[in-house]
Amino acid sequence: MRKKLLSLVLAGTMVAGLLAGCGNKSNNPSQSSQPGSTPGVSSQSPEVSNDDIIANLIANTNGTVKLTVWASEEDQDFTLGRIEDFKAQYPDVDFDIMLGAESESKAKDDILVDVEAGPDVYAFADDQILELVDAGALHEVAATYTFDVKSANAAGSIEAATIDGKLYAYPMTADNGYFMFYDSSVFTEADVQSMDAMIEAAKKAGRKIAMNVSDGWYIYSLFKGAGYDLTLNDDGTNGCTWNAAGGTDVAQAILDLFETGVFVDMTDQDQATAITEGTICACVNGTWRAETAQTAWGENYAAAKLPTFTVAGQQKQMSSFSGYKLIGVNPHSDFLGWSMILAEYLTNEETQVARYEARGLGPANLAAAASDAVQNDPAISALAAQAAYATPQRVGNQYWTSAQTLGQILASGNPDGTDLQTLLDNTVSGITAPVQ
Amino acid sequence: MKFKKTISMIGTHLLLTILAVIWLIPILWLVVTAFSSFPGINTAHFFPTGYSLNNFYRILFQPDSVVQYGAWFKNTLIIAIFTCIISTIFVVMVSYAMSCMRFNGRKGLMSFSLILNMFPGPLLMIAVYFVMKMIGLTNSHVGMIIVYSAGSGLGFLIVKGFMDTIPTSLREAAKIEGASEAAIFIRVVIPLCKPIIVYQIISSFLIPWGDFVLAKLMLNSGISSDFTVAIGLYNMLEKNLIGKNFSAFCAGGLLVSVPIAILFVIMQKCYVAGVTSGAVKG
Amino acid sequence: MKAEKDQKKKINKTTFATALAKGDIWVKLSTVIMGAGYFARKQIVNGILMTAVEIGFILLVVLFGVPSLSKFGTLGDVQMELKFDPLTLQSTINDYDNSFMILLTSVITLFFIFVFIMLWIWNIKLVYRLQLKKQNGEHINTFREDLRALVNDRFHITLLALPTVGVVLMNIIPILVLIAVAFTNYDQKHMPPNSLFTWVGFDNFKNLFTSSMTISFGYAFRKILGWTLLWAVLATVTTFIGGILLAKLINSATTKWPAFWRTLFVIAIAVPQFVTLLLVRNFFSDSGIVNTICANIGLTQVLRGIGLVRVNYIPFLTDPNWAKVMIILINIWVGVPYQMLIATGVLMNIPTDQIESARLDGANKFQIFCKITMPYVLFVQGPALITDFVKNINNFNVIYLLTQDVFITSDQQLAASNAKEVDLLVTWLFRLTNEYYNYKMASVIGIIVFIICAIFTLLSFSRMIAGGREEEYR
Repeated sequence: MRKKLLSLVLAGTMVAGLLAGCGNKSNNPSQSSQPGSTPGVSSQSPEVSNDDIIANLIANTNGTVKLTVWASEEDQDFTLGRIEDFKAQYPDVDFDIMLGAESESKAKDDILVDVEAGPDVYAFADDQILELVDAGALHEVAATYTFDVKSANAAGSIEAATIDGKLYAYPMTADNGYFMFYDSSVFTEADVQSMDAMIEAAKKAGRKIAMNVSDGWYIYSLFKGAGYDLTLNDDGTNGCTWNAAGGTDVAQAILDLFETGVFVDMTDQDQATAITEGTICACVNGTWRAETAQTAWGENYAAAKLPTFTVAGQQKQMSSFSGYKLIGVNPHSDFLGWSMILAEYLTNEETQVARYEARGLGPANLAAAASDAVQNDPAISALAAQAAYATPQRVGNQYWTSAQTLGQILASGNPDGTDLQTLLDNTVSGITAPVQ
Repeated sequence: MKFKKTISMIGTHLLLTILAVIWLIPILWLVVTAFSSFPGINTAHFFPTGYSLNNFYRILFQPDSVVQYGAWFKNTLIIAIFTCIISTIFVVMVSYAMSCMRFNGRKGLMSFSLILNMFPGPLLMIAVYFVMKMIGLTNSHVGMIIVYSAGSGLGFLIVKGFMDTIPTSLREAAKIEGASEAAIFIRVVIPLCKPIIVYQIISSFLIPWGDFVLAKLMLNSGISSDFTVAIGLYNMLEKNLIGKNFSAFCAGGLLVSVPIAILFVIMQKCYVAGVTSGAVKG
Repeated sequence: MKAEKDQKKKINKTTFATALAKGDIWVKLSTVIMGAGYFARKQIVNGILMTAVEIGFILLVVLFGVPSLSKFGTLGDVQMELKFDPLTLQSTINDYDNSFMILLTSVITLFFIFVFIMLWIWNIKLVYRLQLKKQNGEHINTFREDLRALVNDRFHITLLALPTVGVVLMNIIPILVLIAVAFTNYDQKHMPPNSLFTWVGFDNFKNLFTSSMTISFGYAFRKILGWTLLWAVLATVTTFIGGILLAKLINSATTKWPAFWRTLFVIAIAVPQFVTLLLVRNFFSDSGIVNTICANIGLTQVLRGIGLVRVNYIPFLTDPNWAKVMIILINIWVGVPYQMLIATGVLMNIPTDQIESARLDGANKFQIFCKITMPYVLFVQGPALITDFVKNINNFNVIYLLTQDVFITSDQQLAASNAKEVDLLVTWLFRLTNEYYNYKMASVIGIIVFIICAIFTLLSFSRMIAGGREEEYR
């Protein structure tokens, strides 16, 4: 029962996404074949089976299929292994697959310069999808061949990979959001429900709580949590209500948090060191820090959804961005077909299970996410609990620098003493500025 | 008097010691961190808590698809050797033409090249990239060699300044003996320019070792074994990797520094000798 | 004898117009077939070569240039469309226009056309001169003699040919392309191959000089230009003076083992810059080792007490003012040993007799330094100082490596145009291209930097090149 509940939570983050998943035109349920054989899926013409299409592709492939795949530095060994398995599945085809190292968070930086020279198959974080689609760096997943991507993965992940109703990428993990890691020798489970209680407890222990507020990705959590919106317009500009009435209360709340001296602004990299050295006992961060925290805190390692914080005397639940890692196919690939098949392979249930086992990354695949191991993983459970308060990341490029600057000003205690309303007005005009 | 001299001597050496310590602390940190047994950045202690050779072993003998130090070193070495051959030849040729020959439009050409050299490099990169893409040389080491050396003719100023100091009488004497301009260039002028040519060779040899921006743009396959040392080491310090790689980065930085430091010391001697020999007469 | 010389002078001075007007049929024919004039004077190989160049050029323009040039006015209008066939798993791409490639090939073609027209004019003059020579019964070079000239009085052509090709490829064409980009709307919304961009006239230049709530480029530009110039002056002056002082210290009579001391300082700069700078950046990071030490010895508390620091660490590279000071200091660290080496060489050659006589006149050390040493060093090093200044305006490495990913601006107007307080114009334009793909604004900024640097360079080198300094040493 619990399993099911969790996958429901994972899946149900977005009702709209769920609907999109159900409304999948290419999925023909009557066509689902027996378990064991390739699940019959998609393809615009129901008369031709996917096995035939792949057989046809193999027959039409002459010479070496040269592909370049990018995976993050941490994912190299795992991906290499999967690529070998992939090659073994199609012994009749001569593959030459090169694996490059590129962090998912930076994939777009190196691809957008010259899309044509980009890798054939690459992993990226879902926040880049808009820019990648705009630049024509993602090939639409118009059809799937080895499994049905839309129904197999959590609805939220499919929504994150969908732009204007078209699916552009294959969900790989569903754990790219953030939540709270803590040292349970300092905090009780009751403490981590509210930031105020956490600060008290940390003060007693003489340690600190870290959150990278001077980063647009994290500061969103506080404003959204207090009910102030950030939306994306069709032309790529942002809508933002942070400077609406009461917005200054949130800014004041953030200033108050830093005023305690316990709540500190630290980059992820500094947090890693600080966790190891024991200077911080809790931090807002994501699954990629799970290993560091686990090593440092041992059996006291714990994770939870984000706490509430006090805005003008009221408790507000901190929100977050729900994040996914996706795999995309470059439309300029010389071997588009094989790139798509490989992308499917690298995101299928088996691979997602294996990726969780190898690296502890939370699967986007519903079946893989339903396993006991995943269900009992503290970090992934915390993420699932946070999912109820998370929103998908749809943000235009103009957001980041201005939000970061606001965070930096608040984290350093508003040194110039600027009127908070002015501060927010400036931030919002920066965030909503037209693309220059 | 003697007392005063002793005081000033002690003072001088004390000051020098303090300055030397300031200048060497970061280098010392580089060295000790390279031998640290802790992979990340040590922020609590200057000296690591444990020492090991693990970082060197890792980058030299355990290449993975992220860290390919051996391949980076080899790539950079090949690019550097060809770059320094081509650039040096170009620079010396241009310098001779500008310094020793007199032809119409020479001064205009010199001003023009000086101004061309002023265009901010980081901006040109993207156009250079597409020019190279048009001739199909992105992502190749031949392309890198061309990128580093093709425009080197513009950097003739120092070598030309040195050639300006060679007495005209030497060349005239050779001319009277019937030597062609080419013969004078090769047999008379080049041997006299040895120190400044050594300077030029080494300084152009060092370019590929220090450049990461252009190289990162040109070698965009993402395949680690194609990289140069600079891109590779720079990538090792990406935000998400720094905790695992900082000590290894220091080890890699140290390894590449040793040969470069030796060359640098040779170079600076030649440079000082070359530049000042001109200055004296002025 | 004199008349003959005059005649020769006259031949060398023929203008294009007279050549065309007074030339015979062969000269006139050369306007169409460029080798014609040579064939008539029996320079067969020259004629063949020249005609081959002409044919090659025409082929190049027709095959390579015309398709692009015809679209140069709009920079293309066919958007890329991709059709995917789910049965064969293959996609077909239409014959789309890539604005950047159109711009690039057009610029290359226009450049070649310009060069060709120059060659064509020069060729007409040359064949007319051949005609005159023949009429006067002078000797006309054979091909072999022409070749020999290339290693003698025309040796500079041999020497400059290849380097010029390289410079055209790597500098001139890219510069022309980017100057053109400054007049287009090439940015992230208009990025080939997926989208097209087109000409927008002077809009981008207007943007750079306007400040409004939505466009803050004007504000950012003024601020960054100010800091760039301040930085260039400070960086140049501090390292220069620091270098001289250190050289004096090391070479003073009381110092033992000067070579040893010199080597110590050289070691610090012999390590590649990107290694040391990345290292130093982590050294001084907010939770880095220096901060730990400062906190332990209580320095952080002291600074906090006097209001220099507001947070519980020292924001060496994260607070705008701290960062600017640190950047200058770290640059001194990087630059002084280098300047020290040069100064050592210069000081060794200082005329000692002047110092002796000054000392006899009772001048103290400080007076000698100010009145004799400094003026001498400034005289010798003057041009190098201005080169350093221009180099510092474009000093990408120090600023970028120290502040990238670390420094966050707290000036909201700067943030709106993706700039930071510590940016130089050159790092700003680099981030505009590299992170925001705003090529149009980056090109505009690039042109401005170029103009600033070109003015300083011309000022300094007009003295060196035009003033006849190069002959002085001989």
